[in-house]
This record gives sequence, structure tokens and C-alpha cells, in this order.
Amino acid sequence: MKGIVLENKILNDKYGIICIKSDEFAQNAAPGQFLMIRPQPYDYIYDPLLRRPLGICDINEKKGTFSLLYMIVGKGTKLLSKIKKKTELSFSEPLGTGFNLTTDKKVAIIGGGVGIAPMTFLSKILHENNEVDVFYGGAEEKDILLTHIFEEYSNNLIIATEDGSIGHKGFITEVFENSLKFNNYDKIFACGPKPMLKAVYDIIDIEKIEFEVSLEERMACGIGACLGCIISTIGTDPNSNSQKRCCVEGPVFNGKEIIWETVCKE
Amino acid sequence: MENLKTEICGIKFKNPVIAASGTFGYGLEFTNRIDISMLGGISVKGISLNEEKGNPMPRIMETHAGMLNAIGLQNIGVNKFLDEKLPELKKYDTNIIANFWGKTVEEYTEVAKILDCSDVDMLEMNISCPNIKEGGIAFGTNPEMTFEVVNKVKKSISNKPLIVKLSPNVSNIKIFGKTAESAGADAISAINTLLGMSININTRRPHLSNVTGGLSGPAIKPVAVRMVYELYQAVDIPIIGIGGIMNYKDVAEFFIAGASAVQVGTANFVNPEIISTIIDDLTTYCKANEIGNFTELKGTLRT
Ligand SMILES: Cc1cc2nc3c(=O)[nH]c(=O)nc-3n(C[C@H](O)[C@H](O)[C@H](O)COP(=O)(O)OP(=O)(O)OC[C@H]3O[C@@H](n4cnc5c(N)ncnc54)[C@H](O)[C@@H]3O)c2cc1C
Ligand SMILES: Cc1cc2nc3c(=O)[nH]c(=O)nc-3n(C[C@H](O)[C@H](O)[C@H](O)COP(=O)(O)O)c2cc1C
Ligand code: FES
Repeated sequence: MKGIVLENKILNDKYGIICIKSDEFAQNAAPGQFLMIRPQPYDYIYDPLLRRPLGICDINEKKGTFSLLYMIVGKGTKLLSKIKKKTELSFSEPLGTGFNLTTDKKVAIIGGGVGIAPMTFLSKILHENNEVDVFYGGAEEKDILLTHIFEEYSNNLIIATEDGSIGHKGFITEVFENSLKFNNYDKIFACGPKPMLKAVYDIIDIEKIEFEVSLEERMACGIGACLGCIISTIGTDPNSNSQKRCCVEGPVFNGKEIIWETVCKE
Repeated sequence: MENLKTEICGIKFKNPVIAASGTFGYGLEFTNRIDISMLGGISVKGISLNEEKGNPMPRIMETHAGMLNAIGLQNIGVNKFLDEKLPELKKYDTNIIANFWGKTVEEYTEVAKILDCSDVDMLEMNISCPNIKEGGIAFGTNPEMTFEVVNKVKKSISNKPLIVKLSPNVSNIKIFGKTAESAGADAISAINTLLGMSININTRRPHLSNVTGGLSGPAIKPVAVRMVYELYQAVDIPIIGIGGIMNYKDVAEFFIAGASAVQVGTANFVNPEIISTIIDDLTTYCKANEIGNFTELKGTLRT
């Protein structure tokens, strides 16, 4: 697919958000899905070579647009941050298996750092017919973005930063653990660094609360062909793990099924 | 499309562009993106006797104009392939090349025998995977072992043409081409990935769990073209050129160096529709240059 960049806003020295026009993409995207995008417009340039996986941060079906929130970490995202308005970029259709949505439930959304990206789209949809609390953590104030969206599309927005520059001081998982004393959540949705996801898994009573996580692995193809993005899950055979492709069967997984020791390395 | 038709080892190809093993899954991953019936052929992910789990993560890392992989030949095993994937694949009008490997000579011959009696069109034996501890590259980097494994596989089959896929991780690829030919190979494909490595300087750990991995993509194309050129001088059997092909010009380069067909690998990750673009562009190129058949380019290097 191809689309024209309507806006590419640098939020601070770590993050940017890019808005792209594509009716077809906007109509077909579901919360938790991602895309593979070429971070520069020329198809004869082979470095960077692979497309970059980014979560779908927001959709405007009426306008036929979508947004991607990106953290500038390497050459691909650096190039993306330099893309000018009106540039045509090429990207995949919405990929992967997204979140299983709920209705009439009390849910918590937990996002850490740039893991907040797909949670924007998710909270907008969930807020239509659920009670939604958003727990948003980062290292510092710069990591806390798009709060106006969460203020509008959640019942409670709780923020924590490791340096205490905004919100509670400490890890968001600590704040979340505390809140469990007063709140009974039916379902938790989480996306962020793997240690954060593992911490949530350890905190909650996994037999009682539904838990869905969105995971990241390096991806070459994004469509299930290279087997570069394997996540080990508990299989039907107790003696052997099941191997799921993060790009097809994921990126959203049932947190109960993940073999955390195998994914928690990076 | 007449300008692209060709024949390799008695098998008719509508065009000489084949999807490379390990980069096109079992083919079915692409059916909702391109019409896979327009491809000359598909070499499926390397098949072994039993299901294989592959290496721990991380398995891939991008490098300048290329990528390293150490997938470790994860696959569903020959029986599942024949039961679940092949019947689906046969619904499409393209040649199916069964890429296979083993940990021992016996495993190679076992898988070959099973595939030889199946519905696939050709066999491609991988003696060049750099990412597994047993088998693979060990067979492809020692001429005596290359001869033994190719010869035993050839003797155990009687129906399908046998392609031997060579490793570039040798000092003289001509020796391996000649060895495979004398052991009974019907064709050669080259190259598999180049052994490489990349390090995270902050953690001082390798980027891949396997420490080393196979380099593929446009970065390796000049090495691949050189090796096809050398092989063309050394053997009489057809050569299938592989390595870093991104567009129709790259295909032409391989043909001029001596290839009879090509395989496109990593490019499928960059753009899953790329093979269909390459085939269309080749047709246009033939028409624009009044080339009756693209194979006319084969081995036409002027030196
Ligand atoms: C399903 C999924 C969704 C994602 N969603 C977002 C998002 O919404 N916003 C965002 O900022 N980032 C997201 N990421 C991470 C993002 O893909 C990487 O940060 C990005 O690819 C880095 O590219 P680079 O060229 O800047 O970095 P480099 O380090 O130069 O990249 C080198 C290679 O490593 C890969 N890579 C590096 N870091 C990661 C990583 N963390 N995950 C996967 N591959 C990586 C790159 O794709 C590239 O192939 C997501 C990753 C996945 C798998
Ligand atoms: C992720 C990945 C998996 C691969 N798996 C196989 C395999 O199973 N069997 C095989 O013979 N070659 C395998 N290869 C090698 C390719 O078929 C091809 O020879 C190589 O990548 C060079 O071509 P390219 O530069 O066009 O990718 C693999 C390559 C990649 C990148
Ligand atoms: S990224 Fe290739 S299989 Fe998932």
C-alpha cells in the first residue's frame, strides 16, 4: 500500500508521530495490529533494507487516516523522523492478530514507554463500552505522550515515571499493584518492555484475570515467512513448547501462554 | 510471456524467476499478496526428516544493505509438508522445488527418497546452511563429504531432477561445483548465505543467539555474481543464481555471468510483491530490447 504523509510531528528529541492518508488501511485496521513501513520514499535505496514494524497508534476512519507513534532509536526511525509532509511512503496492510475486545467490563490498560502506541487506538475503542483505567509509565517526562487522548478516552489516567518528573515516582507496575487493592479488573491489556510485562504477569492472579500482552521481536518479513520472530508458548504437548510467529499469531498473545523465561532476554 | 519461457533439467518454467528457500515460507503466506501462479517456481523452506525447532531468539539482525539470519532450519518435517502444505501448493500453476537437508548422510537420503515419490517438481539439497551444528555446511565445505552425500542422494532417487545448493563459504567454489556435478547433480544453485557476525557494542554480546549467522540481501550480490561466473566456467550443468537480487537488472547480471535461472530471497521481505514486479519488468525489458528469449543472455559476458 501507499499513502501520503499529512503530518509528521516531532514531539521531543525521543519521539515523533506521523499521520498518513490511506482509506483502505484505515478501514481495515484493528487495535493491536501493526504495519511494516519503509522509512524512506525511494524503492531503489537498499539501506536500510527491511521495513520497520510499528504499532497502529490511531485511526480516523472518516478522514481515512492513521497515525504511528515512533521512538527514534536507530537509522530507520531517524529517517522516518525526517520525512516531510506530502511524501509518499509505502507500507503493508494492517498485520498480525490484535486484541480481543471486551464489552461491559472493567479493564486496565498498561503501557510502558513507546509501548503506549497501540494502546491509544485500543482505549478509544474500549472506552465506548467498558470502564477503562490507563496506567502509563516511562523513564522520564519525555516518555509521557498523548495524555490528552487518554484523558478523553479513559475513566482514570495514572502516570508514573522512574525519575518522578511527572506522576508517581517509580515503576508503573508498582502503582498498578497498589491499585489492585481497591479495584477488581476483569481484563488487563499490556504493551511495553518485556520485564514490565513479566512483572504484570507476576503481580496478577492469572487464573482470575484475563491478560493480553502485545510483544515485540525483530522482524524481517512481518508476514510469517522468515521465522525470525518466534515466541515460545505453552503448547498442547506438555513436553514441548509451541512456536508462534509474533507477526502472524501475535503480536498480541494470551499472557498466560507465554513462556516468559524465553522472551525476557532483550 | 513467451520471452521468458525456459527449461531446466527437462522441467518447463514459465519464467526463470524462483522464490528462494526460507524467504517465501511454504508459498502459501504470499497467496493473498501476489498471484503465485505467475512465478517460475517456489523453493520451499528447508525440509528435514523430522520437525525441527530451530535456534533460540534472537535469530535475525539487519546489517548495511543486508541481514544476518540464524533461523536454524525450523520446519514442520517432511510428512507434515506433504500432508498439509503440498496439496495446497499444487493448486497453483508453478513449479514446486523441495529444498531439503539432513544431519547425516542417511537423513539426506531418507528425505530425498520420500520427496522423490511425491508431487514436487524438483529437489534442491541444501549442503550449505551455516546455522546448524550438525550437517548442513559441514557437507558443503569439504569436497569428499560433498561427493559422498550428493552421490548417495542421487543414487537413492529416480524420478526428480536434483539441484545441489552450494555454500559460498569456501575458498574455491569451482571445486565444489565440479564435485557436485561428478557426484550426479543435475543442476547447481548458488549461493547460500555468507557466514557473518554482528556485535552489540553496549552489551558486548553478539546480536544473534547463535553468535554467527548467514548474510543475505543486496550486500552479497557481487560475491554471488562472481561465484556464478566461476561456476559457469567449471561445470556443464545449469546454474541457478542466487544472492541479493532486488530487480530485473540484477537478474540480467546473473544471466550474463552464466545463470540459467535465478532465485529471489531477502527481497521478498523488503516487498512481498517484488517477484511479480521483477517478472513484469523482465518482459518489458525483452520487448524493449528485441530479445526473443531472455535466456539468450546466458553466459554472454564480454571480457
Ligand atoms: C509488532 C511491533 C510493534 C512495534 N511498535 C512500535 C511502535 O508503535 N513505536 C515504536 O517506536 N516502535 C515500535 N516497535 C519497535 C520498532 O520496530 C523498532 O524500534 C524499530 O524497528 C527500530 O528501527 P531503527 O532502524 O530505528 O533501529 P535499528 O536498531 O537501526 O534497527 C535495526 C534492525 O533491528 C530491528 N529492531 C530494532 N529494535 C527493534 C525492536 N524493539 N523491535 C523490533 N525490531 C527492532 C529493526 O526493525 C531493524 O531491522 C515495534 C516492534 C514490533 C515488533
Ligand atoms: C531468513 C532466511 C532463511 C533461509 N532459509 C534457507 C533454507 O531453509 N534453505 C536454504 O537452502 N536456504 C535458505 N536461505 C538462503 C536463501 O535461500 C538464499 O540462498 C540467500 O538468502 C541468498 O539470497 P538473497 O540474498 O536473495 O536472500 C535462507 C535465507 C534467509 C534470509
Ligand atoms: S517477521 Fe518473518 S515470520 Fe515473523
